[in-house]
Amino acid sequence: MNKLRVLLVDDEIMIREGFKRLFDWEAHDCEVVGEAADGMEALAKIDTLRPDIVIMDINIPIMNGLKVIQLSRLKHPNTAFVIVSGYDDFSYCREALRLQITDYILKPVNYEEFGTCIDNLKISLFEQRVSVAAEPEKQEERTITGITRYLQEHLAEEISLSVLAEQFHLNPQYISQLFKSEIGVNFLAYLTNIRMEKAKKLLLSTSLSIAEVAEQSGYGDYRVFTKVFKKSEGVTPSQYRRDFLEAPGGAGHP
Amino acid sequence: MLRMEIALFMVLAFVASVYFSAGRKSTPLHRTFSVLLIVVLIHLLLDGVTVYTVYHLETVPRFLNDAVHRLFLGSMVLVIYLFYQYIAILVEEETGKPRRLDGPARIFLALAELGNFLLPISYTVAPEGNYSSGPYMLVPYGGVAFYLLLCAGLLAVNWKQIDQKKKRAIGAALLIEVTVCAMQGLNHAWLISGMGITLMTLSFYLTLENPDILRAELTEQKMSMLYLKSQVNPHFLYNTLDTIRIQAQLNGDKKVANLLMRLVDFFRLSVKVDRPMVSLDDELELLEAYMELMCYRYPELQCEYDIDPDLGGMQVPNFILQPIVENSLLHGLKNKGYRGQVLISARKTQDHRMEILVSDTGSGFAEGKKAAIDQMLLNFAKQPAKLEGNSIGILNVQKRIKLLCGPEYGLSYTENPTLGVTAHLLLPMKEDVQ
Repeated sequence: MNKLRVLLVDDEIMIREGFKRLFDWEAHDCEVVGEAADGMEALAKIDTLRPDIVIMDINIPIMNGLKVIQLSRLKHPNTAFVIVSGYDDFSYCREALRLQITDYILKPVNYEEFGTCIDNLKISLFEQRVSVAAEPEKQEERTITGITRYLQEHLAEEISLSVLAEQFHLNPQYISQLFKSEIGVNFLAYLTNIRMEKAKKLLLSTSLSIAEVAEQSGYGDYRVFTKVFKKSEGVTPSQYRRDFLEAPGGAGHP
Repeated sequence: MLRMEIALFMVLAFVASVYFSAGRKSTPLHRTFSVLLIVVLIHLLLDGVTVYTVYHLETVPRFLNDAVHRLFLGSMVLVIYLFYQYIAILVEEETGKPRRLDGPARIFLALAELGNFLLPISYTVAPEGNYSSGPYMLVPYGGVAFYLLLCAGLLAVNWKQIDQKKKRAIGAALLIEVTVCAMQGLNHAWLISGMGITLMTLSFYLTLENPDILRAELTEQKMSMLYLKSQVNPHFLYNTLDTIRIQAQLNGDKKVANLLMRLVDFFRLSVKVDRPMVSLDDELELLEAYMELMCYRYPELQCEYDIDPDLGGMQVPNFILQPIVENSLLHGLKNKGYRGQVLISARKTQDHRMEILVSDTGSGFAEGKKAAIDQMLLNFAKQPAKLEGNSIGILNVQKRIKLLCGPEYGLSYTENPTLGVTAHLLLPMKEDVQ
C-alpha cells in the first residue's frame, strides 16, 4: 500500500509543528507533504499536492475551514478531511457532518489517540475500495474481504487471530500481515473499529441499554466498553446517543 | 352586619391577586396554599350570603337557605382541613419527618362533610341575632375541633425544629382561631368564624417562602460568574495553554504536556456556566480533570469512580460535584497531608431517584461540626449567599439542587463507620429537559 499523503492546515505554527513532530506518521504509513496557514493557501495546496488526508482547523484566516472543504470537495471528491477544532459546539459538528468529512476531533489533540483517527480513516478507505470493486481481482483481496465479512458477522463473539486462523486455515502471522498490507491497520484496531461502528449503530437505532449494546458489540464488561468507546469517540456511549438524538434532523441517522 | 364579611373578603381577594400574579414554583406547600386561598374566598363569599339569608328567613325560600348554610359549613370544614394539611406539609419540610396522619384526616373530612349534608337543619331566631342550628352542624364542628387540635399538636411536638418566624406567626394565628371558634361555639349568634380563618390564611401567606427570592439570588450569582468569564476570553485561555502544552511535548516533557492537557479540559468544561443543567457525564468529566490535577499535586491522593453507566445521561444541576469533592479535600484530607482516597459513586435508589455519593477517608467532622453543617443545609434558604474563597461552596450546591430539582432532593452528610465522611446527593432521574 502506498503511503498516505497528508496536508496540515492551521494558522498556528505550533499546532502544525505539534502534528508534524509529535505524531508518528511513519508508523501509520503516512507522510506530511505540506502545510497551509490560511484558507486560500489550503485550497491551492490541495490542488497542487493532491493529499489523501487534510487535517483542517475551522477557524483560519481569509476563508474558514468548512468553506475550504466545501469548495475542494467538488474538485477532489476522494480527499478525506479531518476537522480539528477548539469549538466544541455541536452546530459546527453538524455542519461538518453535512460536508461528509471523515472525522471530527477536538482540541486539545492527544497525539497518542490521533492514531485511532488515522486507523479509522484507513478502514473507511478500505471499505470504499471493497464496495467499488464489485469483482475482486486478486486472491489476497478475496481473502481479506472474506475475513472482514466473517468479522462483521461474528463481532459479538470472542474473536482473535487464532480463531480466524482456524476458521480460514491460515497462519495467524499471515493474517496479521494481511491486515497491515491490505488495510494498513493491525487486526485489533480493525476489530475495535467495526465493534465501535456496530455500537454506534445500535446506540442510535435501538433503545437497548448501554450494557446490552456492549454485549452485542463484543464487550462482556460494559465498563471496558465505555472506556474503549470514550477513547475512540471522545464521548461516552450515553452522551453519544443523546447528542445525536437531540440534534434537529439528526434523529434519522441509520 | 355584612360589613365585616365584605372587608375580610376584600383583604383576601387582594392577597390572592398578589399571590397568583407572582411567579411561583410548584411545591406541595404552594399548591396547598393556592387551593386554600380559593376555598377560603368561596367560604367568605358563602359567609356573607348566609349572614344575609339567615336574617331574611321569611323572604328567602327555605331550600335556598338550607343549601347555602350546608355549603358554608362544608367549606368551613374543608378550610380547616386545609389548615391542617398546610401545617403538616410545613412540618414535614422543616423537620424531614414524613406525614402520617393524612389518611385519618381525610376519612374524618369525608365523615364531617357527609354529616353536614345529610343531617337535619333548623334556624334559631333570638333577640341577640339569628343563626342556623340543629344536628347538621354537630359533625362539622367536631371536625373543626379535631383539625385545630391536630394543628396545635403538630406545632407543639415539632416546636423546636420549626423556624422562629413561622412558628410564632402561625402559632399566634392558631391561638386566635381557636379562641374565635370557641366563642362562636358558646354564642352562635356572633357569626365571627370568618375572622379567625382570614387571620390563619394571612399568617400562612406572610410566612410562605417566596421562591423568587431564591431565584433572584442565584441569578445574581450567575451574573457574577458570567462577569468573571467575560474578563478572560476562555478560547484565548485554553488555546494559549494548548500551545504551551505542544511546546512542552516538543521539548520532550510528556508530564507537563499531560498536566496542561487536563488543565485545558478543566477550563473548557467549566466555562459552560451559562447552562443550569448538564448531563452527569459532563459533570464527571470536569471532576476527572480536576481530580487528575489534584492527584498529581498530591501523589498520595487517590480517586475512584463507581458509576452506574445508565445514569450518564441524567440531567443534574451544573457544577455540583466539583465543589463537593473540593470540600472533601479541603476539610477532610488536607489535615491528613492529602493522604487518602475519594470514592465517587452514582446509583439508582429503589424509589427511582439517583444518589451520588462522595466518600472520603479524611479526618471526619470535628466535634459539633456535623450538627452545624446539618443545620446549615436544612435551613439553606435562610443562609446568606457567599462565595467561600474561590469555591462556590456546598451551601450553593444545596440551594441550586432545591431550586432546580425540587425540595425533596438535596445534599446531606453522614459519617463513615471507619474513616471520613460521605456526602449524599439525592437527585431526580431526569433524562432531558425538553
